[in-house]
Amino acid sequence: MDIFLLALANIVDPATLLFMVIGVGAGLMAGSIPGFTIAMAVVLTLPFTFSMPPAQGLATMISVLVGGLSGGLMSGILTGIPGTPSSVATTFDGFPMARRGEAGLALGIGVWSSFCGGIISAALLVLFAPQLAAVGLEFQPWDFFMLVMFALTVTASLAGEHLIKGLIAGAAGLLIRTVGEDDAVGVGRFDFGSDYLLTGFDFIAVLIGLFAFSQLLSDLRNPVNARKALSDQKRVEVRIEHRRAIKILMRHWFDVIRSALIGMFTGTLPGAGGSIANILSYDQAKKAAKDDSQFGKGDPRGIIAPEASNNAVEGGALTPLMALGIPGDITAAIMLGALLMHDIVPGPTFISDEPVLAYSIYIAFFLASFIMLGMQSIVLRVFVLVTRIKAYVLATIILTFATIGVFALHNSVEDIWTLFFFGLLGFTMRQYGFPLAPMILGVVLGDIAELNLARALAINSDPMLFITRPWSLFFAIIAIFSTVFPLFQKQRGSGSLLERLYSPFLLLSLSAPLFMMGGVFRTSLAVLAIFGSGYMLLRHWARGANTAN
Amino acid sequence: MRLSMSKDTIAALCLIMACGGLMLASLDIREPDYGVLSPAAWPRLIIVIMGVLSVIFFLQSAFGNGQNRDAAIVAVKDAQSRPKGIVEFLQYWRNVFAVFITFGLYLLILPHLGMLISNILLSFTLLSLIGGWRPIAMHLCIAIGTSGGMWMLFSFVLEVFLPRGTLTGF
Repeated sequence: MDIFLLALANIVDPATLLFMVIGVGAGLMAGSIPGFTIAMAVVLTLPFTFSMPPAQGLATMISVLVGGLSGGLMSGILTGIPGTPSSVATTFDGFPMARRGEAGLALGIGVWSSFCGGIISAALLVLFAPQLAAVGLEFQPWDFFMLVMFALTVTASLAGEHLIKGLIAGAAGLLIRTVGEDDAVGVGRFDFGSDYLLTGFDFIAVLIGLFAFSQLLSDLRNPVNARKALSDQKRVEVRIEHRRAIKILMRHWFDVIRSALIGMFTGTLPGAGGSIANILSYDQAKKAAKDDSQFGKGDPRGIIAPEASNNAVEGGALTPLMALGIPGDITAAIMLGALLMHDIVPGPTFISDEPVLAYSIYIAFFLASFIMLGMQSIVLRVFVLVTRIKAYVLATIILTFATIGVFALHNSVEDIWTLFFFGLLGFTMRQYGFPLAPMILGVVLGDIAELNLARALAINSDPMLFITRPWSLFFAIIAIFSTVFPLFQKQRGSGSLLERLYSPFLLLSLSAPLFMMGGVFRTSLAVLAIFGSGYMLLRHWARGANTAN
Repeated sequence: MRLSMSKDTIAALCLIMACGGLMLASLDIREPDYGVLSPAAWPRLIIVIMGVLSVIFFLQSAFGNGQNRDAAIVAVKDAQSRPKGIVEFLQYWRNVFAVFITFGLYLLILPHLGMLISNILLSFTLLSLIGGWRPIAMHLCIAIGTSGGMWMLFSFVLEVFLPRGTLTGF
């Protein structure tokens, strides 16, 4: 109780509350501007927070994040252009509703769905993060190393057909992190005699360069679009209809919960964020509907599903970060950067070692959702003004801001050079179709991977331990299957051997490490996995026999 | 099987060469007598993995076009939209070059003019190069307003020591 009160005192401090309100407002604005992603907003907030106490800094960043996740719906509903990739599905039904004169109701449904998604995910974060941390205490260096490999392969596999590019990007991210002095023995690597390279690249500057700078360049590439404003609307006469929206949400409460759960689960997968969750939950809502004829024409369920799920994603992404020190997505990776900046290393002992900070994060998450609810109507008016600003003006202001922000990290001009180089690299990668998420994760997790590899080999030099320990084997199996996943997805519905064997073999393979872990629960899971695998194989075999007859 | 030289093939070749170069550079990493894991071991492991992936990428891009119809369609569309000739090329990438060159120059003048003046010049030049020179007064106001505002915010509120110019003294 003392811990909770201390954490509460951290957050309800007037200065923290003020920063949270500003953060939610800034996030809502950032989320509503197409091309200005949430990750960009969070990464640009980072330099502001480094002079703050850790709890205040993290609360501010969480506020930007929660605001950003909800901001995309304004632009999506009012202009038909999603503010962020995580609100793409919201436009499918939100924009048709606005066009038939129900913009206020559509916004209300979106705002309240976002709020519910956020609250459900915050509750699940409080519930699950300590449980996962307890499991994480079983992990040894071999397991952590394989966990990082799993995170990278899953992120790369999300690149779909560009899997190989995703894997290369992930490896390049790991390699970037090796530049400079080796942490263990202090030997310079790839410094080519330069002092700048010997100090290594600051990873926040790398993130801002790779993500923000390259995005701005992509937005400015087309001279015609660069001179355009998002909208030429002078005024928007919309009042958010809260009462009607709440009534509709209560009628579709199951859609809210299902979508929030989908969002939460998607968020826990490394690299999978709101952009996947909103489409997935929209699809599930449509499939679950008795009458789906109105989907795409202005069905409220088409707004509830994506908005509840994209706000729930961050609770999911923060769970592995707080419990294991492994970020679930790019924004969680930036949060990891914020923690490291304050010399706090998240891991399985984070919640028990830093309980006040952990509870501060939980409380900030809850509170930010309430602030978001109150601020939507105010920001809606400012949004109309911002949409009238031309794209190149916004991009130039953001670039200038990023430059000062990067310098402020360590009072170093070299970091601005890093921003420049990695902006160029990120832009080139975008042009060649390389996904940036695996590279960013590689940069963030590079040190953790090397440290655990060194620790593991120091304890026991047998490399076989990386695949014979239960948890290592578990992560290795998922890493391998996630690499094959794009191929499996491509062949779905074709009746190929891969399609028939993928899921049964995954379950069968996972049963081995589960058996090795021991204990009643995990052994039962292993038995279930074997039965499940056998059932799937029999079903496929029976179906195959029927087709042959 | 016919070898085709696409954008991806060129990227793969560059990656293979980069891996070779980095592997050579890794030979310069000093090997101390202490520590369990050599400082060169981890980077070399990554380079080997990246090299293998790059070779697979090369083979896929050079010989796999006929097998992947979608990729072939994308490649054709890509080729059609790509600028032909040097003038068209420069026009196509005009804004990107403008940002790179302006930002590069900004980094060179920053130690001499300090952050305030350099940022005003950076913003003003970018605004005018991308948005056109006609609304020059507006661009100047935006550049001074935003750069000055940020400079004041970081200097006086966040108390960050922003770089002073050797020529300007502030």
